[in-house]
Amino acid sequence: MRRRLESMAEDATRALGKGSLPPGPVPEGLIRIYSMRFCPYSHRTRLILQAKGIRHEVININLKNKPEWYYTKHPFGQIPVLENSKHQLIYESVIACEYLDDAYPGRKLYPFDPYERARQKMLLELFYKILGYQNTVFFGGDCISMIDYLFWPWFERLDVYGIADCVSHTPALRLWIAAMKQDPAVCALLIDKNIFLGFLNLYFQNNPDAFDYGLSC
Amino acid sequence: MSGGSARSLGKGSPPPGPVPEGVIRVYSMRFCPFAERTRLVLNAKGIRHEVININLKNKPEWFFEKNPLGLVPVLENSQGQLIYESTITCEYLDEAYPGKKLLPDDPYEKARQKMIFELSSQIPTLLICFLRGQNKDDYSGQKEQLHKEFSKLEEVLTNKKTTFFGGKNISMVDYLIWPWFERLEAVELIDCVDHTPKLKLWMEAMRKDPTVSALITDAKTLRGFTDLYLQNSPDACDYGL
Repeated sequence: MRRRLESMAEDATRALGKGSLPPGPVPEGLIRIYSMRFCPYSHRTRLILQAKGIRHEVININLKNKPEWYYTKHPFGQIPVLENSKHQLIYESVIACEYLDDAYPGRKLYPFDPYERARQKMLLELFYKILGYQNTVFFGGDCISMIDYLFWPWFERLDVYGIADCVSHTPALRLWIAAMKQDPAVCALLIDKNIFLGFLNLYFQNNPDAFDYGLSC
Repeated sequence: MSGGSARSLGKGSPPPGPVPEGVIRVYSMRFCPFAERTRLVLNAKGIRHEVININLKNKPEWFFEKNPLGLVPVLENSQGQLIYESTITCEYLDEAYPGKKLLPDDPYEKARQKMIFELSSQIPTLLICFLRGQNKDDYSGQKEQLHKEFSKLEEVLTNKKTTFFGGKNISMVDYLIWPWFERLEAVELIDCVDHTPKLKLWMEAMRKDPTVSALITDAKTLRGFTDLYLQNSPDACDYGL
């Protein structure tokens, strides 16, 4: 429990809404992500930030009550958006993930080989069509890599939505889920099931407090 | 650069042999805008390649082994590796082959090209509707939507103050977007760029690019192909040969 509170520290802040003050510039040595605690698309980008150990700050956006200044970050007010200290803005979750992999040193998440890179991108296209498309533990091979992180947020939510049954006929996928839960980056960002259910409950009632559900501050 | 004008292969055709070393093969169709992206990149980078055209109205059975989705373009190299989805093939070629890089090295500039490409993502869907004549009930509505999409691109060029979407020289994102603009005349929508002067200038600059002009198809031929294709004629893909 204590570990979960600590690991939630980075993104456990109230969402900014209409009337909020625009945040200042991003300090050097840091990258900022505009996010929402329960959004699977920004979850992808936060997984990459976590997996690559990139120093970052999180600003949560109230998606039902967006701040006016947020449209200067994204023309349609979508998340995630990355902002660096050079005022550069990067959006679309997959583009943001690739940008982080390219721009930051350390472990590369996309493979080095052009064909293997292409293969991961083809897999992403097939994601919604073919679930059993894997013959190794992880989607990219024997080690976790970019494609696994890009898929993960939806599978984590399967359990909460109560449709975990849909992977019961695909043992390879169940094995993958178990293996993913052992990854340090995945673990660090695992959403508590009850908190997520609480969020969903308020969200479907169009309650603007939904985004801050579970925060103690 | 052989076979660009070769007859397409259909059902009952023998599968082609392996790809010789030093060459990459593209499964294509002479009038397909998606496959045109890949051919533009192959030519822009001067990559030795062979083209096998597929009869999309009468697909060979063996083609589904190349791409389970049965779509062009597909790349096949001498190691038997297959790559499909047009944007993925283009990026693969840029990464795997030396010479002029079409995508920038700088991570932010590369991301910027991809964001600009995303801005254009509705254009193919809209134009395909026009090509198929599927919008009789809402012609002006769809045309209005197209204007909106073009305005997004106009804004990029206005802010960048450059001729091309990636800067002062032609690059990947220009080639990816081009095939759709090449077809505007064939669907009588060329007046849609009257409201977007920078986009119109971009089109003129594109036509002057050697790679683009080498692969251009005139409006009359495109219309001839489209008419046959909409009738599901097995001769459509070989129109003009």
